[in-house]
Amino acid sequence: MPNRTLTVTQAIVVDTFREAFARKIFWGLFALSTLMIAFFLFIMKIDIMQGATATISLFGNRADANVDADMMVRKVQAGVAAFLYTWGMFLAVFASAGLIPSVLEPGRIELLLSKPVSRAHLLLGRYLGNVLVVGGNIAYLVCGIWLILGIKTGIWTPAFLIAIVTTMFLFAVLLSVVVLIGVLLESTALAVMVPTGLMLISPVLAQVEMMDRLLSSEWSRALWRTLYHCLPKVYDIGRLTMDIVLGTKIQTLTPIATTAAVGAAILALSIHIFRRRDF
Amino acid sequence: MTAFAIETNGLSKTFRSFWSGREVRAVDGISLQVEKGTTYGLLGPNGAGKTTTVKMLLSAVHPTAGSAHIFGQNAAIPEARRDIGYLPENHRFPTYLTGYAMLDFYGALSGMDSPSRRRRIPELLALVGLDDWGDIRLGKYSKGMLQRVGLAQALMHEPKLLILDEPSDGVDPVGRRQIREILQSLEQRGVTIFVNSHLLAEVEAFCRDVAILHRGKIVLQGKVRDLTAGRGYRLTVPAGLPEKLREEIVLRASSFSPRETFLDIQFLERAAANSAIDLLRANHIEIESLLPTTSTLEDVFIRSVNAQ
Repeated sequence: MPNRTLTVTQAIVVDTFREAFARKIFWGLFALSTLMIAFFLFIMKIDIMQGATATISLFGNRADANVDADMMVRKVQAGVAAFLYTWGMFLAVFASAGLIPSVLEPGRIELLLSKPVSRAHLLLGRYLGNVLVVGGNIAYLVCGIWLILGIKTGIWTPAFLIAIVTTMFLFAVLLSVVVLIGVLLESTALAVMVPTGLMLISPVLAQVEMMDRLLSSEWSRALWRTLYHCLPKVYDIGRLTMDIVLGTKIQTLTPIATTAAVGAAILALSIHIFRRRDF
Repeated sequence: MTAFAIETNGLSKTFRSFWSGREVRAVDGISLQVEKGTTYGLLGPNGAGKTTTVKMLLSAVHPTAGSAHIFGQNAAIPEARRDIGYLPENHRFPTYLTGYAMLDFYGALSGMDSPSRRRRIPELLALVGLDDWGDIRLGKYSKGMLQRVGLAQALMHEPKLLILDEPSDGVDPVGRRQIREILQSLEQRGVTIFVNSHLLAEVEAFCRDVAILHRGKIVLQGKVRDLTAGRGYRLTVPAGLPEKLREEIVLRASSFSPRETFLDIQFLERAAANSAIDLLRANHIEIESLLPTTSTLEDVFIRSVNAQ
């Protein structure tokens, strides 16, 4: 039985990759990652001077001040992590939003459901495949930049590699929203809009202390706090990733725990709806 | 150990509109018993509930009442579908897959291990006449070829029950014959074949048992042989028989039906037909034609549906 489960999971994951290849999703993300790696390889130049200080030059223009080399590398990596976290995440959600509704198309879903596989297994297999398609590209991009910066500067900061884990984690949570929209409404457009909306609203919602002061009524403060705690904390995890990459002391890991709980709850709700639906 | 490949009891499905709350009863308490090893045809006009019934057997649609069992197992359990091979109507196979990759994917979902799939795929591609097309993407296949590779997909894991929704749809006559030969060889090996089709002549030629579904209910079911047993003779004569002669003929005939300038008279017995001919000839009435008749499945189908 475990072998059969593995065979089925592997088949669904491979199928997701094949569809991602065919829709040029994988190659599109791969090309963007390669472009970014090429930027670091050929255009950005970091010179280490006198051991601990460095200058950075872009398109041949050198920055004015010499800075701490380790901090310089960390800041560059934090910039990459921030890019990944915002634009990278948007691109990943945009690219993979169609992969869930596509399997629910009439004529395709009936055949999948006729196989001796539970609906939860089908959905989770597809989800896993999707996470791996994007995760593969994130790992390629982060590892590529990490290697180039390491080779160019001789400074190796493993903390940057944490960005692979946190970015994949956040994508997995946002993908659970994509899955929920997919099984509920089968709309690719909404599957892009809702996670993007969550990403945009997150920095605003994260200002809980300020809003506590600004909002006049208790119910509006309570509503704000509820929304903050019930929605994925995209902004907080982004800040956490920056802190890890920059070597700053981490205040709390609570955003990760609550976001994981929200993601798991959304995924469980998606499975519940998928199991009850008629096709 | 059950004797039935498919058994449903009062199976019903009501679709309810989320916004208006309006209800449509697509399937209304049907009870089917499909014996193991038989060939069974599910017939009915459009919207009769055939596809919904099939989807409930596969658990793609959840019944609102009643039960469905496959080889004695509740159809809602994934394990019950282990012995089912299914070819859907209006299938949409992933066009990014090649024929080989498609069979490999669905074979894996059916629980086949990799060596079994590698052995089985070339056999099946050859069986459906697509051995040269295994490496070509499905997007390049014609409708008939997709239907054949779809059949191969349904046969991948050597199922004991084959559920086919319009299996000959879009297939040319040669391909249709090929599919029929494949199904006949499967029948000889004891595979139960459940066909949902509009092609009545094909169902009549291939299936041993049928059920006719109309407005969600079974209006007739039984052995094709028994249902089409209405043999007799049809005599065609010019219309406008003298009244007295007409009354004499009516006593012997089972039915009368005017057709343009002729009158078709149906007799159940040869003796009655001969007696009527004697009478007609004695009155110098010209006989246009005399044909032995059988009741086709189409006749049975139309009678059953019109009777409702």
